[in-house]
Amino acid sequence: MSHFTPSDAAPSRRDFLRITGTGLSVVAVGMLLPRAVSAQDEQPSAGVVEMSSDSYKPVQRPPKPNAVPQLTSKELDAFEINLACPCPCTLDIYTCRTTDFNCGISPAVHGDIKRLVEGGYSADEIMEAMTGTYGDFILMTPRKRGFNLLAWFAPFAAIGFGAVGIGALLRSWRRNSDAGVKLRAERDLAAPAMSTNLDATPEELDRLAAALREEG
Amino acid sequence: MILVGELSLWVALLMAAWSSTVSFSGGLQGRPDLVKSGERAMYATFAFTLLASIGIWTALFTHDFSIKFVASYTSTNLPKIYTFTAFWAGQAGSLLFWALILTSYSAVAVFANRRSNRALMPYVTGTLAVTSLFFLMTLAFGANPYERLDWVPAEGRGMNPQLQNPGMAIHPPMLYLGLVATTVPFAFAVGALITRKLDTEWLSAVRRWALLSWFFLTIGIVLGMWWAYVELGWAGYWAWDAVENSSFLPWLTCTAFLHSIMIQEKRGMLRKWNATLVIVTFLLSILGTFITRSGIIESVHAFAQSNVGNWFLGFLILASALSAYLVSTRLNDLQAKAELESMVSREAAFLYNNLVLVGICFATLWGTLFPILSEWVKGDKITVGPPFFNSVNGPLGLLLLALTGIGPLIAWRRASMTNMRRQFTFPVSAGLTTLVVLVGLGMRDWYALMSYMLAGFVFGTITQEFVKGIGARRRMYSEGLVSASLRLVARNRRRYGGYIVHFGVAVLFCAFAGLMFKKDVTATVKTGESIAATDAYGHDWVFTSQGISSFEQLNRKVLAVSFAVTRDGENMGILSSEKRQHVNAAGEPTFEPSTEVGILESLKQDVYLVFTGAVDRDTAAVHINFNPLVWWVWFGGIVMAFGGLIVMWPQAIKSEREGGYVAELPVSDPGALVGAGA
Repeated sequence: MSHFTPSDAAPSRRDFLRITGTGLSVVAVGMLLPRAVSAQDEQPSAGVVEMSSDSYKPVQRPPKPNAVPQLTSKELDAFEINLACPCPCTLDIYTCRTTDFNCGISPAVHGDIKRLVEGGYSADEIMEAMTGTYGDFILMTPRKRGFNLLAWFAPFAAIGFGAVGIGALLRSWRRNSDAGVKLRAERDLAAPAMSTNLDATPEELDRLAAALREEG
Repeated sequence: MILVGELSLWVALLMAAWSSTVSFSGGLQGRPDLVKSGERAMYATFAFTLLASIGIWTALFTHDFSIKFVASYTSTNLPKIYTFTAFWAGQAGSLLFWALILTSYSAVAVFANRRSNRALMPYVTGTLAVTSLFFLMTLAFGANPYERLDWVPAEGRGMNPQLQNPGMAIHPPMLYLGLVATTVPFAFAVGALITRKLDTEWLSAVRRWALLSWFFLTIGIVLGMWWAYVELGWAGYWAWDAVENSSFLPWLTCTAFLHSIMIQEKRGMLRKWNATLVIVTFLLSILGTFITRSGIIESVHAFAQSNVGNWFLGFLILASALSAYLVSTRLNDLQAKAELESMVSREAAFLYNNLVLVGICFATLWGTLFPILSEWVKGDKITVGPPFFNSVNGPLGLLLLALTGIGPLIAWRRASMTNMRRQFTFPVSAGLTTLVVLVGLGMRDWYALMSYMLAGFVFGTITQEFVKGIGARRRMYSEGLVSASLRLVARNRRRYGGYIVHFGVAVLFCAFAGLMFKKDVTATVKTGESIAATDAYGHDWVFTSQGISSFEQLNRKVLAVSFAVTRDGENMGILSSEKRQHVNAAGEPTFEPSTEVGILESLKQDVYLVFTGAVDRDTAAVHINFNPLVWWVWFGGIVMAFGGLIVMWPQAIKSEREGGYVAELPVSDPGALVGAGA
């Protein structure tokens, strides 16, 4: 029966750093998540999208003189796809309002946007007005600036590092292979008379190797 | 029976505590009697958890509304099938269901290894028992399904209408079966790390469990997509919602493991990586459960917030810390002298496949948790919605699809140029032909073109592999086409089952790309008025309102709108969508009204009708979507599950040979070797 025996060798600096790093990571996650849990006081119950009247904030601007709509109806729909509905549905304004009239928020936000379009405001101006009122929460994706750049680039950076790591790993395996081939060749030279226990002629082995190479 | 069930929950908890204590101490002290006792206690834990579950089912069917869980999720007019599925409709019941699956898996794993892996089993049993203990403690002290109300209501609240759907009846059990199955490989990994028996033996013990997990997760995820599509009414099946992502994350790492395990089996390499993947898969399943049950991230799928989240967080931190400690203190034991003859080999392809799978996993986890990070660091709440995930995971998905086609074409150890040229010619031609044809037909969407080209490449690879294998069998054994095909798969289920899974994956990508051509129209129409629309294929559709009708059905009041549908002047039948108001036995409304969509399904596209609301008794507001290729999502999912089933299916011992049909070759004819090794 095997027994659990912790490593009895004195830890090296590398071991120390590894274990400390692991410990710090776990502590960091431990600190981050409880705070996030406690920050979530207004959650929907299972499967039911409960509306909070606080979620809707009117976004109103006076119409521009001689206002001409800057967006067509189709462009308005496309614009709304970039805006998150403040209700807990996790959908965009357009999808939410065209899915279910139970949500009172997305039709209200749509009404505001429509009035701004009729008031002559451009897409950029409307977006600015919406984010001015709701903050960046109203955007379906984080802006590509400041801290939010981390959201966009971290996955690709991680994969980039991973690819470099795999490249290095493959190269080290390749070196091991070269060293192994050299070692075996030396051993064969040292013991030329040593025979294999295979019950096959060299021709048969060659044919087998060729077939395996061919078919992978 | 209800009282027996309630008591059984506590007995199960004690049994799990006993099992975990004596299993670990039996292993550490080398006492087989204690180990045996721990295993028996594990069986007993399962038996009592089963009794506790039967108790809850009894309470549900006898409408014992003195129990809070029963009163919260059922009513006397709830159809029988949903009374049964109410078991997993709420937090407490679903946790008990989870514990039931976990203890049953644990009992099976212990029984199946009663004569094998004996050095590992004390720790395997101990780890399974500790995990069961955690769930039973969470049940007993955090979310007890037997919790009583101070008074007995005359009627229950009923079940959320969105959960009254066949998809929702099957989807959670499938997902739970998959998520819970990750515990067994984790337990074996812990056992192997503790005992330092880190050869490939423990891997072969967990491979089948990992496959089981992958199989059920695949079915669960696809069923969840189907449920979202037919029930939520937003005309999509995947929204990168936090809860959807939670089930996707362990699926990704499990898929990576099922590929990388082959490298360790064949070459003895990647020991650290495989042990880590098994552990991470389990931790991700717990993280997903934490996300779903804590209310930490907004989701329409999430359970209500409760203190259960803190329990899961604690367990997650503890399991992560112990796993990290075990792996970091055994790195030397996990070291293997790895050799690679060529950078162009299947080993390298599998490594890149793992990188992309884990990369998608990281990107998805990162996007899911980034709003929390942002709020924590900056104090600003932000949204990370589907466009983010599509932008990041879209290119990675295409890369994965390419590797799906490349991997099987490259030989193990070393691929020669001649071999590569011969292997790649047909699949690359198939991909390029697909591209040229689609461009010729006028398709210009870059993502869709890449998807179809790469899918064509994958189909080419799979076709080539099957044609070669079947051809070889027909030549060697003079078999007919059908019997050669069937025997080819049967003799090497792992390899050809895997190809069938790859086929399903490529079909899924084609179906996903179809949504690039989605079209929709919203309109408000009176009875007799028509809506005209053109779909992505250029067909002209006319929807003529037949009016709004109201009626009562089962446990709901229904408002329905119907349309007579024509396509290019041809009658396509009647399409209806409903607004449902569910009521209790007294006829009082229970939940918010829900929408039942109407779907006109075909292989080319779904016409998806949503009755968004009645403006007046005669006027309906509707949203009509033309969703191309959705049927193929379900087909692709079924094909993947079918392929997984073939890979998993036990092989008779006499034919369980790596080379499949190669093993049947006449000894004197090694030159006829074809298709050896997966």
